[in-house]
Amino acid sequence: MTPIIRVNKLSKHFKVRKHHRGRLAALRNLTTRQYRTVKAVDEISFELMPGELVGYLGPNGAGKSTTIKMLTGLLVPTSGELEVNGMLPWKQRTRYVRDIGAVFGQRTTLWWDLPVIESFDLLGTIYKVPEKDFQRSLDEFRQLLSLDEFINTPVRSLSLGQRMRADICAALLHNPKLLFLDEPTIGLDVVAKERIRQFIQHINQVRGTTVVLTTHDLSDVEKLCQRVMVIDEGKLLYNGQLDALADRFGGDRHLLVEMTEEYENVEIEGAQVIAHQGHRVTYQFPRHSTTASELIGRLSERYRIRDLEVREPALEETIRRIYEERLLK
Amino acid sequence: MVSIHFRSQMSYRASFVFEFLGTLTVGILEFATFALVLPRFEHIGGWGLGEVAFLAGVVNLSFGLMDMVFSGFDPGRFGRHVRLGQFDQLLLRPVNITLQVLGSEFVLRRIGRILVGISILAFSFTLIEVDWTPEKFLVLAFAILGQIGFFGSLFMVGSTITFWTVESIEVMNVFTYGGSEMISYPMHIYPNFLRRFFTFILPAMFLNYYPAIYILELPDPLGMPGFAHWLSAPVGLLMLLVARVVWHFGIRQYQSTGT
Repeated sequence: MTPIIRVNKLSKHFKVRKHHRGRLAALRNLTTRQYRTVKAVDEISFELMPGELVGYLGPNGAGKSTTIKMLTGLLVPTSGELEVNGMLPWKQRTRYVRDIGAVFGQRTTLWWDLPVIESFDLLGTIYKVPEKDFQRSLDEFRQLLSLDEFINTPVRSLSLGQRMRADICAALLHNPKLLFLDEPTIGLDVVAKERIRQFIQHINQVRGTTVVLTTHDLSDVEKLCQRVMVIDEGKLLYNGQLDALADRFGGDRHLLVEMTEEYENVEIEGAQVIAHQGHRVTYQFPRHSTTASELIGRLSERYRIRDLEVREPALEETIRRIYEERLLK
Repeated sequence: MVSIHFRSQMSYRASFVFEFLGTLTVGILEFATFALVLPRFEHIGGWGLGEVAFLAGVVNLSFGLMDMVFSGFDPGRFGRHVRLGQFDQLLLRPVNITLQVLGSEFVLRRIGRILVGISILAFSFTLIEVDWTPEKFLVLAFAILGQIGFFGSLFMVGSTITFWTVESIEVMNVFTYGGSEMISYPMHIYPNFLRRFFTFILPAMFLNYYPAIYILELPDPLGMPGFAHWLSAPVGLLMLLVARVVWHFGIRQYQSTGT
């Protein structure tokens, strides 16, 4: 299989005007122009296979949106190679966007004053979707996203959750090969998030649509993605399986032990007691120098144990460590 | 596309009616001031009220038509779309971007200005007699098309500038609104340097003034070649071509907005 997205040393630099501060700042801003270059995306490379569902993570201003905007043909790269679906997005824009769908969480592609269904019809016309395909997709999405409750309401009167469902539907009516979702669950409640996640999963599995998902909400990633890419300050810090991420950067793991009786001293070699209450003890141990089985061996030699549980650090914690420590640098 | 805008604007029926009436009132007031002041001077640069009203009528009519066709490129409105990220949404659709921007707005209330233009023209014909010939109709049509192209291209350039800054919209307004005011008067009343600027740099001279001289059979005090009255449409077309180059350059440089 050939990759659907090929990105090689892709960069996007912005020139940002320096603003003077202090006395006469306004005047100096007017008369002198100094620029500073910001490397929003700095030589990133990756490939994506058709049918993948990848999470693209990073803090605010890390370069996520800039990358997505280059991938969707909105921005022209400063340097590097970018080929999606066999095309150069910004160069062959009108042909290229036929095969992609994109949802930018905070914006809508729908016509503000028109009922949702009319926007859909209009998009069907714009993308020249054959009538039969259009009707089939619409029927499917109406049901999966429960669109019927608001399909005749003008977009301006929809709630955020409804609007997002309508927007995701709109991005898929022309059955694109690739779907870009930029913060699709931002600001939504738990139920609405869950519905959208299930829908994304359905599209990916049933239609085989390749999905690139940027999000702040790591539970989106944990539930949906096998693969993640982590970006910060324009550089790609991690690109690989989600499981392996914890393995590499996860830091300390926890071992929760429930003993049959209360012991005075529960210290053992290779781990640190971080909580001790009655029968229950929580140990913290480093991932690479100590294995869970070593610890359990040592524990069972000395104490009588009823139950055990190994806990991986939360993904959030892992990601935070990557940003904070720049472990790859 | 047009029907969509029509329907969405009709969904705010009251606001449409008020805006329409508003434009109409402003237009009529503007013209009333002009019609009341002009007779005090009796003529402007040798042209009477009827002749000047002819100039003003054609400009208003053309500008109104232009504003309806190019309202998507109105720099103020376009700049707002860019800042709100709505321009991104247009770029995501598989349709020529220029056509989409043209179709992104269709401001019906501009009909007000068109009606004002037609009324002023009608008024001018009560004061002057025109011997209409097929050539004169053609020159008039060319003048209107040329002005639509000319002001439309200024709108396009102004919109392109909003990719970088919104502060310069005012500068563009000097050219568009100032320009439309200026060509409402006979060009020979302006000082030399202005006339040169509007002949060689922004050739607004040919848009309205020379077609009017031809149609109204007035003498040309500036001694232009005899075909000058045909130049309006070519000037408009040329301006549009230049504007298109600028516009495409702008899209290439476009930086979008942060999410």
